[in-house]
Amino acid sequence: MRALALIVISLCTALTPAVAAAQEAAELRKQIEQLQRQLQSVTDRLQRLEAQPPPPGPAPATPTVAPGAAAPAPAAAPLSAIDLARPRQPFSLYQQRGSGQLLFDIGVAGDFVGNITQKNVARAGGGTFAGQENRFFPREVELSLFGQIDPYASAVVRIEAGEEAPGQDTGVRLAEAYMTLLTLPFGTQARLGQMRNRYGWSNEIHEHDLPWVDRPNVMRNFFGPEGLQEKGLELTLVPDLPFYIEALAGIFNGDNETAFGRQTLQHPLVTGRLRTFFELGDEHAVMLGMSVASGQTGDRNRSTILGWEARYKYRPDGWLHPLITLTGEALYSLRKVDVGVDLDGDGAIDQVDKRQRNHGGYYAGLEVQPFRRWAGGVRYDWSQYPINPGWEWAIEPYVSFWPSEFLRFRLAYKHTDRSTQTRDAFNLNDASARKVDEILFQASFILGAHPAHPF
Amino acid sequence: MLRAFRTLLALAAIGLLVPAASAADKIRVVATIPDLKALTEEVGGKLVDVESLARGTQNAHELEIRPSLMLKLRRADLLIENGLELDSWAEVAVQGANNPNIVRGAPGRVDVSRGIQVLDVPSTRVDRSMGDVHPLGNPHYSLDPGMAPIITQNIVDALGRFAPDHRVEFEKNRQAFLARLDEAMARWERAMGPLKGAKVVVYHPQWIYLLNRFGLNQAATLEDRPGIPASPAHLTRVIRQMKEEQIKVIIVEPWNDLKLATRIADEAGAKAVVLASMVGGVKGADSYIAAIDHNVNALVTAMK
Repeated sequence: MRALALIVISLCTALTPAVAAAQEAAELRKQIEQLQRQLQSVTDRLQRLEAQPPPPGPAPATPTVAPGAAAPAPAAAPLSAIDLARPRQPFSLYQQRGSGQLLFDIGVAGDFVGNITQKNVARAGGGTFAGQENRFFPREVELSLFGQIDPYASAVVRIEAGEEAPGQDTGVRLAEAYMTLLTLPFGTQARLGQMRNRYGWSNEIHEHDLPWVDRPNVMRNFFGPEGLQEKGLELTLVPDLPFYIEALAGIFNGDNETAFGRQTLQHPLVTGRLRTFFELGDEHAVMLGMSVASGQTGDRNRSTILGWEARYKYRPDGWLHPLITLTGEALYSLRKVDVGVDLDGDGAIDQVDKRQRNHGGYYAGLEVQPFRRWAGGVRYDWSQYPINPGWEWAIEPYVSFWPSEFLRFRLAYKHTDRSTQTRDAFNLNDASARKVDEILFQASFILGAHPAHPF
Repeated sequence: MLRAFRTLLALAAIGLLVPAASAADKIRVVATIPDLKALTEEVGGKLVDVESLARGTQNAHELEIRPSLMLKLRRADLLIENGLELDSWAEVAVQGANNPNIVRGAPGRVDVSRGIQVLDVPSTRVDRSMGDVHPLGNPHYSLDPGMAPIITQNIVDALGRFAPDHRVEFEKNRQAFLARLDEAMARWERAMGPLKGAKVVVYHPQWIYLLNRFGLNQAATLEDRPGIPASPAHLTRVIRQMKEEQIKVIIVEPWNDLKLATRIADEAGAKAVVLASMVGGVKGADSYIAAIDHNVNALVTAMK
């Protein structure tokens, strides 16, 4: 009897937790079922909400076409519970049409270039990328932020990083930051801040967007490797005429040390540009323009640079890209310079005379793009130097390949020939860079937003 | 040089003084694509003077911004946009036009996608590994004639805000147009009825609204991903699929590579047919109804 009692007690002891576990499992199952019902309810509700038309705007969503004639617009594919449960990615902010929407655009452009040239050219620092010969480096990685400030103005900010010398850390700088006032009267707009000047066709264009690996020689010789970038104000006028003409006037500090360098609004750099455009049918288009920039140099001498630009495109009807593009620009610099004169022949400068230096240059480029992903072309450069004697010419054939709209590779060969009078830094370190042969290559990408390019 | 500058400046000054010419009493409207031009003309009648920035044979996704577009916009009272990022290139032209009437946020800037039930809206993360996807959804809604009532209502509202005295006339024009569209819709549905459920291949995925309207299914695209040219491996897969599923038609946009589509169609025993991706895209498609007429007739003929 005692033994039986012991067995009963032992069984009870053993079974009690099992009964409790079974009760817990039943409870758990109940909770899971409840959660499933809740999830289903939320899913149904979300699907109903997503299937509804957007909130009524000015347009009633109900078509007025007879019901039999116009079926209601098909609903979007219903989302599964898995779709709904999936965590929202940060990028989806961009898709929202509500308070979370990003109010401006962000883009990143990367531009990597490389070059291979002779040793003597590298020693003399006379290559296209002076000081960076026989290297591959990030020339320009650019973060762009752009959008509307309010109904009256838009803004652009570009922050740029690039390697300027071998082994140096990549420097970061403010490339552009300007606002554009959009609603001024009489067909005018004002742009103020730090900007690439709208002088000629190529100066305004960023390195990664140029149709060549490098900026044309004449632009680099007369405005420096970065082109003309200034801080100030530009005003444009597009008059209401039957043909297109854009007039531009600007006033700037004159910070560009290659061409000006006075750096004060008391003696400002003033700029002007007139641009017009003709279409010859749907397939041919020509743009012509003239520019002027006039300021003072660091040694208080007048410097004026006149520019002319022309661009022609032939795009057969229905083509996604032009077949033929011709581009040309010419500059003519009128500049006073201080020249030391040795009157008595003792080797010492006795007086400083003002002399006039009128020098110029041009380039002409042809590009043929028979296929959407491939283009080839050639550019011819001829240029004097702003102050020093001598001149150079160069020829640069190239081929470009776009795997997609946002990725591009380019390969070029450039031959440069400099005259014997040339002094401008091409005979340094006991080396000569009179004749230069270079293989240039470029890889560029665009990440995120990038505005469309004008003609 | 200076003389030339002076002459051009004088011309510009004259431009400021001379009042706008002949069309001054009409509402000057610029539409980004020809479909919206055609619909605005239907609604506005004689009271509007409408120009389009894109031509029917062009790819509306990427337009070269010529100064001639800025000239059209310079004098516009209203700019009618498709929206959904199809015509975001127009912003560059607007900024070069120096016309405060149509800058972003101004009353003259009209996005007619309001009220449209947008298809192909991505429900997951999108990036450019998927090609040139539209994060806001497929923007080619004007290819579906069933969307015309909403689009034209938006246009009536925009024109009515600009010229409230003529609102009744705009609405009357709209109703007359929709009555004609009703008749045409009955005709199109009769013609397309037997094709319901049929599968087609498209070159670029821009036909989903038209296909849905008439119950057709998009089985594949010739593009690997939107805007990305097809790889040979992808084309081989498409040909195999077309053979297996007995797909008879590849729809090609007027701006896309018809030769490639024809080669694929030949290999798959199908036909490549060019549809009007916009009004004016093919010969004879010179009005909104004519463009849909062409598309329906071409599909019916090709799928017989």
